[in-house]
Amino acid sequence: MKRKRAVPKPILFGEGWEVIEQGVTKMKRILEGLPEPPFTSEEYMKIYTRIHDMCIQRSPHDTTEKLYTKYKEVIMEYITSVVLPSLKDKHDEFLLRELVIRWSNHKIMSKWLSRFFSYLSRFFIKRNSLPSLDEVAFTCFRDQVYKETKGKVKDAAISLIDQERCGEQIDRGLLKNVIEIFVEIGTGKMDYYKNDFEEEMLKETTAYYSRKASNWILIESFPDYMLKVEECLRREKDRVVHYLHATSEPKLIEQVRHEVLCVYSSQLLENEKSGCCVLIQEHKVDDLSRMYKLFSKIDDGLCRISQIYKKHVTVEGTTLVKKADDVASNKEAEKRVVVGLQEQTFVREVIELHDKNMPLVNDCFQNHTLFRKVLKEAFEIFLNKTVAGSSTAELLVNYCDNILKKGGSEKHSDEAIEQILEKAVNLLGYIYDKDLFVEFYRKKLARRLLFDKSANEDHERSILTKLKQQNGTHFTSKLEGMVTDMTLARETQADFKDYLQCNPRTNPGIDLSVTVLTTGFWPSYRSSDFHLPFEMTKCIQAFTEFYPTKTNSRKLTWIYSLGTCNITAKFELQTIELIVTTYQAAVLLLFNDSNRLSYSEIMSQLNLADDDVVRLLQSLCCLKYKILNKEPNTNSISSDDVFAFNSKFTNKMRRIRIPLPIVDEKKKILEVVDKDRKYVVDACLIRIMKSRKVLNHQQLITECVEQLKVFKPDLKLIKKRIEDLINREYLERDSENLNLYRYLA
Amino acid sequence: MEEEEAGTMVHTNFYCHLGNWGILKKLEQWFIPISMSPWKLGEKAALQALKANPYVDMIVVDGISLLCTDLQVDPQDIVMLVVSWHMKAATMCEFSRQEFIGGLQSLGIDTIEKFREKLSYMRSELRDDQRFREIYNFSFGWAKEKGQKSLALETAIGMWQLLFAEWHWPLVDHWCQFLQLKHNKAISRDTWSQLLEFAKTIDLQLSNYDEEGAWPYLIDEFVEYLTENGIVQRPQN
Repeated sequence: MKRKRAVPKPILFGEGWEVIEQGVTKMKRILEGLPEPPFTSEEYMKIYTRIHDMCIQRSPHDTTEKLYTKYKEVIMEYITSVVLPSLKDKHDEFLLRELVIRWSNHKIMSKWLSRFFSYLSRFFIKRNSLPSLDEVAFTCFRDQVYKETKGKVKDAAISLIDQERCGEQIDRGLLKNVIEIFVEIGTGKMDYYKNDFEEEMLKETTAYYSRKASNWILIESFPDYMLKVEECLRREKDRVVHYLHATSEPKLIEQVRHEVLCVYSSQLLENEKSGCCVLIQEHKVDDLSRMYKLFSKIDDGLCRISQIYKKHVTVEGTTLVKKADDVASNKEAEKRVVVGLQEQTFVREVIELHDKNMPLVNDCFQNHTLFRKVLKEAFEIFLNKTVAGSSTAELLVNYCDNILKKGGSEKHSDEAIEQILEKAVNLLGYIYDKDLFVEFYRKKLARRLLFDKSANEDHERSILTKLKQQNGTHFTSKLEGMVTDMTLARETQADFKDYLQCNPRTNPGIDLSVTVLTTGFWPSYRSSDFHLPFEMTKCIQAFTEFYPTKTNSRKLTWIYSLGTCNITAKFELQTIELIVTTYQAAVLLLFNDSNRLSYSEIMSQLNLADDDVVRLLQSLCCLKYKILNKEPNTNSISSDDVFAFNSKFTNKMRRIRIPLPIVDEKKKILEVVDKDRKYVVDACLIRIMKSRKVLNHQQLITECVEQLKVFKPDLKLIKKRIEDLINREYLERDSENLNLYRYLA
Repeated sequence: MEEEEAGTMVHTNFYCHLGNWGILKKLEQWFIPISMSPWKLGEKAALQALKANPYVDMIVVDGISLLCTDLQVDPQDIVMLVVSWHMKAATMCEFSRQEFIGGLQSLGIDTIEKFREKLSYMRSELRDDQRFREIYNFSFGWAKEKGQKSLALETAIGMWQLLFAEWHWPLVDHWCQFLQLKHNKAISRDTWSQLLEFAKTIDLQLSNYDEEGAWPYLIDEFVEYLTENGIVQRPQN
């Protein structure tokens, strides 16, 4: 008897499907929220196995393909009969809610179904490169449900957003879920989100803010408008956090910023009542900081603000210049005191302007290079104009002189002085004619040092250090040399005193103190053929004999015009010590031998020029102290006048200084500087050409300008010097290219 | 060359070379030995040079007059400048023996007639751009005083008027006026040579003039002068 292997009876499709159908029905009931217990493992296994068995049957009973088709049908049937109708007539928020539920359900259904049918995934789907079960489910929903409803859904969502913008409370969670559908439906790509939602959302946002902004611009002031801008940007960012997709943020913010800020940026900045200029003027730091932050995000924003700022500073500075000019032209030239005062005021006000602007640049404008640059440019513009007939370099020198000399008009503590000097040196940074500054400074420093008018040696050194830091060692070398000379002079004087003690024959019997100046450091002084009073000649002799014992091969040239003399004058009622210049002393000593002297007699005795003699006599009889009497008793000196000692002179002080007004050497100084500049430019040009050998005209000029730090060279000057160098055969023009220069060794 | 014999030797060589022809007589007339010249012979420097070598003879003003008569040409005629150029003459109104004879040789001149014929050739040389430039630049060194670096203004103006009559430059009169008004000093070599470039390359509206270019300062000033006085309307660009 043969044993027959039991062949399982094939499951027919219809029969097999019954079990599955049960599972599907159960699942639908669960989804609809009907009372239904959840699937048990056995139920799951039963359905899975049924499908499994049906798949492994041999043909003609293998129904794999049919099952695959059926899978899709199930889903489609559910969508068409349940899902779509439920959505069809709904709108707005109701639609959104329903969709969220349906999508959620669909995902659950898809999950379960694909578990049931998962055997199909193992071989059949792979072998035939068919869409996976998930894909099929997903595609059904997308193509049937999503495509149908996306328009209405989008409108509803956007309308909710608008409502929120208008201040209403909305269900953010719902909106978030809805928007997530747009994202998920793309399965990794953001195309659906972008095209079906984001695009319209952005358009709507733009329209919304465009309307708002056009309103705000009419009623709000610039600071208030900015607050509104800040607020709406903040809100939109918040919106992204709560329900929009993160990728929308940059686009959204940019659109909003464009509508509320870019479109109106010029109007805002240039608003006459409350725009950028006004804020700067009124020093509204908070508003300026806000403005900086907001406008730094738009193209060109900072650039425009910096231009407004630059203009503002330039105008303020130029106003100060004009003020000083006006004062100078109103007052007569004699009232030099008033003009001098105005000069001091000018410098002080410029420093104050700078102080006022530094916090703006540092804090409000966050020390941005653009703003540092325009501040510098603005200061350079007005600080390089002539003010009240003088260059700003000279004014700055006078200002410093006032601080550094004894009896200056400003009284400050040591610390305050340090700060002021620091600020003054800073200002020099903006002035082009730095070499002019040095020359004027030299003159003033010389007076302070030689007439003992320097208030504090530490301050003198301190400012030189600051100048050196700013401009290099070479800049202050002469000035430092002058200060050092004074120190050396003290030593020399001590040695001279010793010498006199050891050589009593040479002692002139008058206290003599000599300051030896190193020629190159000090300003050049005219020497003259002044007739030294005989009382003083022995003094000079003594020193002239002493000095070679200290150093040899040095030539001494005596500058009597710089000397001071303490001379005792015996008036009828008192004896007063007069502190005068050597020249003044010489005049007075003449009256030891004569009671009356005419102008010409005085002049020939002293052997000085007219302008010197006039000045001297004026100081002794026409100004504050009348040491001499003059016939006729007018207020000016003429060559016919006759002078006599005023024995009746009295004063409550025992000791008086009789000042000699200084000659204005401005013109001479400008000449000196001009001459020096020629040499400096020549040296610079030669230096450049020596190293480059061949260079074209433009480049030579550019390099020359770059290398010259101590003044801003006039292009015409450079051109002239180039020509001069060609004439002197240091350079030649190339015969082919006339724009090219060649160095001639 | 030996001393005493030097002058004679050159003469002799010359004679031998050129043979016996009529120019001989003329040469004797033109060359005035230094000891017999009634005319001032130029600067101290020139005198010293001559003293060092007294046997170098010079043709000077008188001799040049005679020369010009024989050539049937005005001494002021610009062709004499071209002649000087060919002879590489160092200074105007003078030819040294070397310069003169060297020049004649290079021109291939051995008769007066040939000299006269050459003149028209020389005139034509002025039409050639390159030649003109060479002659123009040569004339600076030629016209200035020996030992000076720059050319006196009067002389320069005279030269310019002479030269720019040949190669017409409409602004030459304004240039000369400008110099007399504003400059009144000698002219440097650089300015001299650059002026020709200016005249050649810059159009009469001055539209292609670049102030920031390498033009000499004086020419910059001239352009300013022209525009300020409305002589030229520069197009704004």
